[in-house]
Amino acid sequence: MASAEQIRTEPGLLTGAAVEPAHRRKRRRTNSTSWGIVGWVAGILFFFPVLWMVLTSFKTEAQAYTNTPNVVFSPTLSQYKTVFSSGLWPYVANSAFATIVSTLLVLLLATPCAFALSLRPVKKTRDVLFFFISTKMLPVVAAIIPIYIAARDLHLLDNIFTLVILYTAMNLPIAIWMMRSFFLEVPGELLEAAQMDGAPLRRTMTEVILPVVAPGIAATALICCIFSWNEFFFAVNITATEAATVPVFLVGFISSEGLYFAQLAAAATVATLPVVLAGWVAQRQLVRGLSFGAIK
Amino acid sequence: MAEVTYEGATCIYQGAAKPAVDGLHLAIKDGEFVVMVGPSGCGKTTALRMLAGLEEIDDGSIRIDGNDMVGVSSRDRDIAMVFQNYALYPNKTVGENMGFALKMHGVEKAERARRVRDAAKMLDLEDFLDRKPRNLSGGQRQRVAMGRAIVREPKVFCMDEPLSNLDAQLRVQTRTQIAELQRRLEITTVYVTHDQVEAMTMGDRVAVMRSGQLQQFASPTELYDHPANVFVAGFIGSPAMNRLDGTLSPDGVKVGGATLRPAEALLRAAQGHGQLVAGIRPEHLAIGEGELQMQVDLVEDLGSDSYVYGHLTGDAKANIIVRSGRDHPRRGDDIKIAIDTSHLHLFDAGTGLRIDE
Amino acid sequence: MTALAPAVTSARPARPRLDARRQGWVRRAPLLPALVFTIIVTQLPFLVTLYYSLESWSLVRPGSQHFAGLTNYLDVFKDSQFRQTAVNTVIMTGGTVIIAMVIGVALALVLDRKFLGRGIVRTLLITPFLIMPVAAALLWKTTMLDSTFGVVNFVLRPFGIGHFDWISRFPIESVMIEMIWQWTPFMMLLVLAGLQSQPKDILEAASCDGAKPVAIFRELTLPHLRRYIELGVVLGAIYVVNDFDAVYMMTQGGPGISSANLPYYIYQRAFLGFQVGQAAAMGVVVVVATIIVATFALRLIFKTFSGTEQAA
Repeated sequence: MASAEQIRTEPGLLTGAAVEPAHRRKRRRTNSTSWGIVGWVAGILFFFPVLWMVLTSFKTEAQAYTNTPNVVFSPTLSQYKTVFSSGLWPYVANSAFATIVSTLLVLLLATPCAFALSLRPVKKTRDVLFFFISTKMLPVVAAIIPIYIAARDLHLLDNIFTLVILYTAMNLPIAIWMMRSFFLEVPGELLEAAQMDGAPLRRTMTEVILPVVAPGIAATALICCIFSWNEFFFAVNITATEAATVPVFLVGFISSEGLYFAQLAAAATVATLPVVLAGWVAQRQLVRGLSFGAIK
Repeated sequence: MAEVTYEGATCIYQGAAKPAVDGLHLAIKDGEFVVMVGPSGCGKTTALRMLAGLEEIDDGSIRIDGNDMVGVSSRDRDIAMVFQNYALYPNKTVGENMGFALKMHGVEKAERARRVRDAAKMLDLEDFLDRKPRNLSGGQRQRVAMGRAIVREPKVFCMDEPLSNLDAQLRVQTRTQIAELQRRLEITTVYVTHDQVEAMTMGDRVAVMRSGQLQQFASPTELYDHPANVFVAGFIGSPAMNRLDGTLSPDGVKVGGATLRPAEALLRAAQGHGQLVAGIRPEHLAIGEGELQMQVDLVEDLGSDSYVYGHLTGDAKANIIVRSGRDHPRRGDDIKIAIDTSHLHLFDAGTGLRIDE
Repeated sequence: MTALAPAVTSARPARPRLDARRQGWVRRAPLLPALVFTIIVTQLPFLVTLYYSLESWSLVRPGSQHFAGLTNYLDVFKDSQFRQTAVNTVIMTGGTVIIAMVIGVALALVLDRKFLGRGIVRTLLITPFLIMPVAAALLWKTTMLDSTFGVVNFVLRPFGIGHFDWISRFPIESVMIEMIWQWTPFMMLLVLAGLQSQPKDILEAASCDGAKPVAIFRELTLPHLRRYIELGVVLGAIYVVNDFDAVYMMTQGGPGISSANLPYYIYQRAFLGFQVGQAAAMGVVVVVATIIVATFALRLIFKTFSGTEQAA
């Protein structure tokens, strides 16, 4: 039997004589338990503000305005009633329209562009990519002035299509970068096999490439939707009453009502809910997109 | 230098029905070169990794120089491992790769450099010390992986199929180099491969494994001449030993249409085993007047000899391989084969175990 | 597409040249819609901004437009508030990105291990990124950091910190906390991608070589993660430097301009002060500064990105 001095062991594990398997497997479990605790603590900490927002939305203002936060209380839907009766739906319709149409437009423009940029890396490829990402580096504030003035002069202020155009331009660079990284994952042999099988480019594209890239397209679309739905700066400056979107509604909710915590929490919950749900449901796509295709 | 002992070592992956390594018993002598060989999934790599500390020992134990390694982490075992894909540190130069372990053990810079240089000289890597792995060829990377292990002068070398990513010619060359190196350094080595040629040429002793269980642990010659069961008989030797169904009869073993007459002692030992498997290697069959009749399906002419593949006439499932010379039959020929019964192996058809005289 | 077709070799020299040029255009065609669209929507406005920056123009007094040369630029450089907000922007962007990345690396290391409920924890950790920035800013301003009713003060009460007005006393820090909260998931995911792309046998080899976990992280993992960290820092900076919502909602740049960043300050000038010419000039200055910084940063991304592609 081995002597204790001869063995240097992991801290926390008994040394020496033959140990039963259960004990050894316990070491594996204790390791993963400590990581698990850290993980859960971090997760709860990060999630807490959101949780608190949702909890607050079910309180009355009196319950929300307390020195000691109320964790146990009887929930009420009155805040939500207020929110929904404040003319929320036109804003939602506008947001939905701007988000969906701009995302479709982005996919329409970005997919062929990314495809071309991934096929044969030409030195122009680098320049083109550089150009696209550089448009994101230019501060939006610099462009907003002429855009506002131009929109005003063309009577395109407070027009949902103006937002659509702006959101498309806003998301296009990231979409192109993301889609390109997904296209690069398609093995070259696939294209060669299709060519050997006699497929013209269009069919190769639709029947061979797109199915492989489909998850990537979904991921890109999701990211675009998130950024469009959540966008505030353009919305607040370009729109007024007709084309205002949900972020504008949320902010408008404050100014007219003052800072009522519970009500605001309800409004904020309603405003953020669609995107959070989409992100949770399509989490895999989200993770793919944000890691540029690296995490599947 | 150390003795390595597996005492009933078992490893079972979470959620798996069967253990990957099941109660392995091996006693490896100090300075010995042991090869673990077997088909994919036989547990040889897991057994090696258990020794290196990269897999848990769920039951039993593994001892190095008498010390039980259960619960000891890899970095405290004084084992150097050569990985199948070399696992070279990509952001470090060849010199830094080789010196990494010494650095982790607090060896001084000058001493580190000296030992790295000595190892590099042994492996012809002196010109590459400042290069990064991505600028090396496959063969060079393999040598760096070896060098990293050698520099440490550990108690045990563990090698996980280090030649499998090399092309055929380089493989043969490197094989001899590794064997030579080990003989010179006299460090206990456990070497895993799926290639039985490597096993036969490199090992002092070879452990044949299958489905997590040890089939036989013996010298290459012993494995070749006295395989312990049908599996080992068919695994060791290329082309494989012929294994034919046979039944015991009063005056011999009936195989195909013929009755083979093995040695008296063997026949006596086979009493009581009804169904048998008769094993005979291709080189112990000869084309010419003999007991068996065979139809030729295919001939492989290798230049020095040829191998005639076919089946017993009348039994398409009874495959036979016969070694022949330049002058060999053609496809479709019906030929007679003679058996050298002094080299006949008999195995029990049920257990697969060897019947020994 | 003819790009995939074999090259045409023929005895007549004229033919190949025409085909090559046609090939080039066919290859470029898919690019053009996106390119043209982007140029029109982003470059034209910038040129117009450039033009406006040379004019003295207040939207309050229509018809007051007149050419002013470089006066606006002089005003900008003399404007101490502009300098202050520029400094604020650097602090906020740098601080947010660096802290978010450090926390992101730590969280990625945790998520790289297997433990019970790892998927749920990942969902929880991703959520801040999904929250609408104005909603998040509101959330932090009211329910979290409010001096009387905020949760943070409640939690800190046992430690003696009761009615602390975070927003007024630490405006920049408050905004930064909100931004860090929102951007850490993004950094975490990028780094997680990096961790998962590292071959496991290298870590095993290091363990056999006697390296303790800290040494393995320092010597092997961190160098491997470098390209992912660089990518995260650059992309994150691009978004954070332009972040308007947080400042607008939480502090309105105040007190004074102590928490105003450049986007907010320019917005104030243009839409609240109606000083189009000055705002335009500021915009141009910011653009030029960004281009200079970006040129260095982009060289970094490209080295990173083409390296990633090779390794993949």
